Amino acid sequence: MRKPTRPSPSAPPAVDSAVAHGLEQVPSTNPVAPATASLELTRLENHDETAVDLRHLLRPAPNQRSTWNDNAGRVDSRPDAKTPFNTVTPLDDSRSEHLITAQAPQRPVSTPAFRIEVDGRVVEGREGQTILEVCRANGIEIPTLCYEPKLPGFGACRMCVVEVEGEEHPPISCSRAAEPGMVVRTQTEEIRRLRRTNLELIFSDHNAYCLPPCQNKCPSHIDIPGFLKANAEGQFRESARIFKRTIPFPSILGRVCPAPCEDHCRRDEVDEAIAIRDSHRYAGDKVLAAQKEGIEPPLPFETSPKTGKRVAVIGSGPAGMSAAYYLLLSGHEVTVFEKDELAGGMLRYGIPEYRLPKAEVLDPEYEAVWKLGGRLVCNQALGTDFSLDDLKAQGFDATVVATGCYVTNRINIPNDTADGVIDGLEYLKIATLGLPYPGHKKSRVVVIGGGFTAMDCWRTSLRQGAKEVTLVYRRDMKDMPASSEVHEAREEGGRAIFQAGPTRVIVDENNKVTGVEFIRMQPGAPDASGRRRPEPAPGTEFVVACDRVLLAIGQGPDLAWIGPGNEGVAAVKSKLRADAVTFETGRPGVFGAGDVRIGAATVVQAVAEGRRCAYAVDAFLKGNDLSELRNRQTLAEVEPIFLSIVPYTDEPKEARHRLKSLPAKERSKTYAEYEISYTAAEVMAESTRCLQCNCEALGNCDLRRLGIEYGTTLETLEPGHDQGAGFRSVTENRFTGANHDYIRDDSHAFILREPSRCIDCGRCAAVCAEVVGAACYDFMRTGFDTLVTTPLDMSLNDTPCVSCGRCAETCPTGALMPKPRVLEKYDVDESRCILCGICVDACPYDALRGGQDNELAHTDRSDPQIDLIGLAAIDRETEVTYIRRERDWMAHALAEGRLETPAEELLPALPPSLAGVIGDGRKAKR
Amino acid sequence: MTAATILSTPPRFPRLLLPATLPADATDLAAAVGAGAFTGLRAAVEKLTSEGVIKAVAESGMIGRGGPGPGRSAGVGEKWRICAGTAADQHYVVVNAYQSDPAVLTDRVLIENNPFAVLEGAAIAAFAIGASEVIVAVRIEAVDAIRVLETAIAAAEEAGYLGSSVLGTGTQIHVSVRPLQGAYMLGEETVLIKGLEGKRGQPEQQPPYTTTRGLFGKPTLIHGPQTFAAIPTILNGGLAGFDETSPRAFAGTVLVQISGAVAHPGIAEVPFGATLRDIVEVAGGTPSGHKIKALLVGGPSGGILPVDGLDVIFDHENLERAGAHLGSGSIVVIDQHSCVVDLAAVLTRFCADEACGKTIPCRIGLRRLAEIGARFCDGQPRGDDVTRLLDLSHDIVESALCDHERRATLALQSVVRYFRDELDAHILRNSCPAGICHPKAETRAGRSPEASHA
Repeated sequence: MRKPTRPSPSAPPAVDSAVAHGLEQVPSTNPVAPATASLELTRLENHDETAVDLRHLLRPAPNQRSTWNDNAGRVDSRPDAKTPFNTVTPLDDSRSEHLITAQAPQRPVSTPAFRIEVDGRVVEGREGQTILEVCRANGIEIPTLCYEPKLPGFGACRMCVVEVEGEEHPPISCSRAAEPGMVVRTQTEEIRRLRRTNLELIFSDHNAYCLPPCQNKCPSHIDIPGFLKANAEGQFRESARIFKRTIPFPSILGRVCPAPCEDHCRRDEVDEAIAIRDSHRYAGDKVLAAQKEGIEPPLPFETSPKTGKRVAVIGSGPAGMSAAYYLLLSGHEVTVFEKDELAGGMLRYGIPEYRLPKAEVLDPEYEAVWKLGGRLVCNQALGTDFSLDDLKAQGFDATVVATGCYVTNRINIPNDTADGVIDGLEYLKIATLGLPYPGHKKSRVVVIGGGFTAMDCWRTSLRQGAKEVTLVYRRDMKDMPASSEVHEAREEGGRAIFQAGPTRVIVDENNKVTGVEFIRMQPGAPDASGRRRPEPAPGTEFVVACDRVLLAIGQGPDLAWIGPGNEGVAAVKSKLRADAVTFETGRPGVFGAGDVRIGAATVVQAVAEGRRCAYAVDAFLKGNDLSELRNRQTLAEVEPIFLSIVPYTDEPKEARHRLKSLPAKERSKTYAEYEISYTAAEVMAESTRCLQCNCEALGNCDLRRLGIEYGTTLETLEPGHDQGAGFRSVTENRFTGANHDYIRDDSHAFILREPSRCIDCGRCAAVCAEVVGAACYDFMRTGFDTLVTTPLDMSLNDTPCVSCGRCAETCPTGALMPKPRVLEKYDVDESRCILCGICVDACPYDALRGGQDNELAHTDRSDPQIDLIGLAAIDRETEVTYIRRERDWMAHALAEGRLETPAEELLPALPPSLAGVIGDGRKAKR
Repeated sequence: MTAATILSTPPRFPRLLLPATLPADATDLAAAVGAGAFTGLRAAVEKLTSEGVIKAVAESGMIGRGGPGPGRSAGVGEKWRICAGTAADQHYVVVNAYQSDPAVLTDRVLIENNPFAVLEGAAIAAFAIGASEVIVAVRIEAVDAIRVLETAIAAAEEAGYLGSSVLGTGTQIHVSVRPLQGAYMLGEETVLIKGLEGKRGQPEQQPPYTTTRGLFGKPTLIHGPQTFAAIPTILNGGLAGFDETSPRAFAGTVLVQISGAVAHPGIAEVPFGATLRDIVEVAGGTPSGHKIKALLVGGPSGGILPVDGLDVIFDHENLERAGAHLGSGSIVVIDQHSCVVDLAAVLTRFCADEACGKTIPCRIGLRRLAEIGARFCDGQPRGDDVTRLLDLSHDIVESALCDHERRATLALQSVVRYFRDELDAHILRNSCPAGICHPKAETRAGRSPEASHA
């Protein structure tokens, strides 16, 4: 929350504010100290040395402190004593503060104090303070949207309603004066309901979205626009760091993720979705390459101090390792138990080498976890080698069970146990190690199933020299989770039959497989997942002759370990019973995450489970209330989104940059990775295609924060047991109805206006008129169509705007934002200039001036001349902030070598379609 | 002159605001003085001190024509006392003759026929609270009222009743007319103040009340012209005479505009405490062939009362209890040819469109109410629209900034309260008994977001 910059008179006695407070009422009877301080400050006021930290001057000498600091000990306690009003406002940004205090409600500081009761607490207020001011000064939070601390309460948003005993209707606290003895309640059921209704009304006309759909659809909600932006700027390490905030393994996921994000990319509205997965793969690989040279991988955030708590993670697959990673970052000690010889789980034993190289990608990326201090214990299986009781006895404070899904479903057809019918997972476990599976060479193989495991069995069999490999799937190709791989497998020589289900395995007299009989399936009624359930079409049986059958028709978790030594946990629908939000199993301190909880799912789902589970375990270890976590996480996980798409019709078309592959002939012979990574130029070009369609105010938006806090962003917040939360449009709630769709105004150079995000709080209008003095905005029109906008909706350029940015600063949502600036170079051909001066008159920013000797003067970008004094009567503070910010930017750019070579290669590579279009007369360099 | 019929009333109805025989020229000061104008002001400045005036007004128990209102001071006298007691270098008296209701002309008729009563009352108030400035805010379209006022003020100043030395006492009371052009909302007192200050008309949170912090931040006394016009009677005839006029405890008369299915629509002066039936009879009752179905009382933001409502006593308290309010003094008699659902939906939409747009419950909430009303008329409500309507109305009333948003919820609420059968005919049986709406019998499944997300 924004805090009032002026120290509140009744603030708790923090030293600085108390001193400042004391100073404002310089006691006339205490001549020594105040005189000195006033002198100092007056001098400062005159010299405007704003850059210097003045606060040390405000501190009184130690021997005067008792008089200064203590209200009770003040000499001028006589209320009728005439105290000289000190005009010096002793704060670090004195000028702006002076201006602001001049505008704020005039209120003598030494008004009498009184007590009121707020939420059962007795707090002290002063005459003239509003209820809101008293509450905020005492650390009691009341939500506001339209309240601007610099100005008197406005009362448009009705969020700060409070209950005052004895009043018919609840008053709003921002404009209601506190009175002695008032009994105020800020969080009653009724009050919260009123706020909720209000928020729902706002959202019902809030035709905007917070997160881009890709981020929403990602089970782990990665900041996709964030890392793509870093990529486009060539900041690959930063890109990987952003990725690691939600998923520790950018390279692994860059290879094996089914990329649900790409299905919802808004770039698809223009031409094709962004290659999101391939882009983070590049960033991850960069980090791995650096790691080889001894550069540590980036950490998403600082590691917390050691807590001394010990956590056992059972299973080193994606879920377990992701849990371990974030637990380690939270300062806990983590030991990972693995039943196999090496860490990795399904990543190692289920995904073939050609999709995920083990030594080059898996091991080094897992290294990030071990580097944080994670311990690995291999060849230890839960249930056989140790039990949950043992872990408890060994002193582990918490246990995460992430044992995955390792039991292949039975097919239940005649002869399904015949010689030659092989469990696909068992096959992959041998094959992914690069070992030839016995007898596979030259054999004829039938793979039954359509998931990732089936696909891996299919393509690995090809690589192992099988003569003929046929994949049979009972649904259509479009229903396959891994349909993208079908074409590649076919290129490699695989055969696929769709819409056929096995009826029996045909065996010879030795019970050895000679073929499988199938029956054609036809689509029937839709099932629970919405897909039409395949039904056999009678009389369409056919036989595929083969030597062996690989079964890949889904897996379930092995829960045989539940029992003695592991009491307290239970299974539900043959999965481990654990809460969807807190991940608690029935046994205290034991948590379940990943496939073992939700059934066989994608790697990214498992990683997301692991991370969320880590936060739950962290909360548990810190002794926090898990039900509170449930509340918070349930609310926070769900992101509001508006899927009605902004038409990106003006965006130039540019095809997706695709990964190149090895030729099919070559790749079918080898386990080497067949996809060739991007080059730096390619990944930058691809990342540049991102429309960055998230709300620019994300993270600063009060409306979103309150929407989450009051649960008004979604009607049903509880996600199902094995699925993520549902998504709805922001505008859909009890009051959905007509809503406004305004046009974005980006005509102003510094301020971006997005009226669809405006909630008509009027803060910009008030600040612009009362503080800045420009009055660019006001409420326009009446009724439902009222909008805070410029007169006649004119461009901000045509108003008396001084580009001070205060409107964007005060905006509680993303309706007004500082515009992202793209600095470009412009060439002026002076030989053609006739000194007509039209440009001088026309330029709204005084970039060109009449110079000496009647010449035109313009400035060069390489030597930034920040001269805003002339262009507007803005106050000192804004100007200083602006200059400081620009200098900071320069310093950074120089330090990072971005300015040394004003080289185009550091800028986002322009898509070819843009070359020459921008009008800078130069060819964009690639 | 405003074309409006002034209805004759039975002898038991006193005529305090509009004399039974209207003067030929309302701006004729001599005639008016002959009929007793400015005796109250004379009594005030010559005999009573400002405390005495306030005491007399307070003892009369008079309540302003706008009603006591939520959170406002109890009576006129109390308001004056607070205003006079607020220290400031300037006090203002504002006569709120803006009269937003497009169908009501009572204030204009009063000003055009009895301007001196309004001016005298305002001058007494100015004297009592120590204001030297009286501003009469009038709609710019009311050209006749403005002309009459300006002529009357000039005459009164010339004669020394107003101006730099009232009745030779040296007290300054300057009266000016401010024609205002603007929107419906200007009738609300804090909005009116914004309008007089030259700002966009939007209400301000009360408290602080206008009596302590009003026009330009100064203590300001705002009443309607009918309230001011009744003040001289209090000072002249005294409390007793004023009280006798009313059959109830509370005193006074009010101008109402009766329209709709009545034989003689027009303006009538009726006492507080008469029943609605008495008032409808003043307008000649319902013509033959028409049957009273409902009464819209209070103007566009009024409530719709059922036919039993004829027995409701016409004063603030009883009307509020019945789900209406005195409002603009408009009474519309609704017969069997009108559909109350349609009427409520139209009224709510009107109020939503005329809202100033300042607060969320008003700007969006009223619109959502209007949408619910429209869905009722179309016979296509979402599953729980009736509950939604009541919930939303309650929340709007609770978190409202001004009375506009509170009262705009009345119309649809009255439909649920009094006309549930007619509403159910629309939403359950897709029929409109009055034949006004055309509810469609479309399937509702899947139309509403609720249904698709269930």
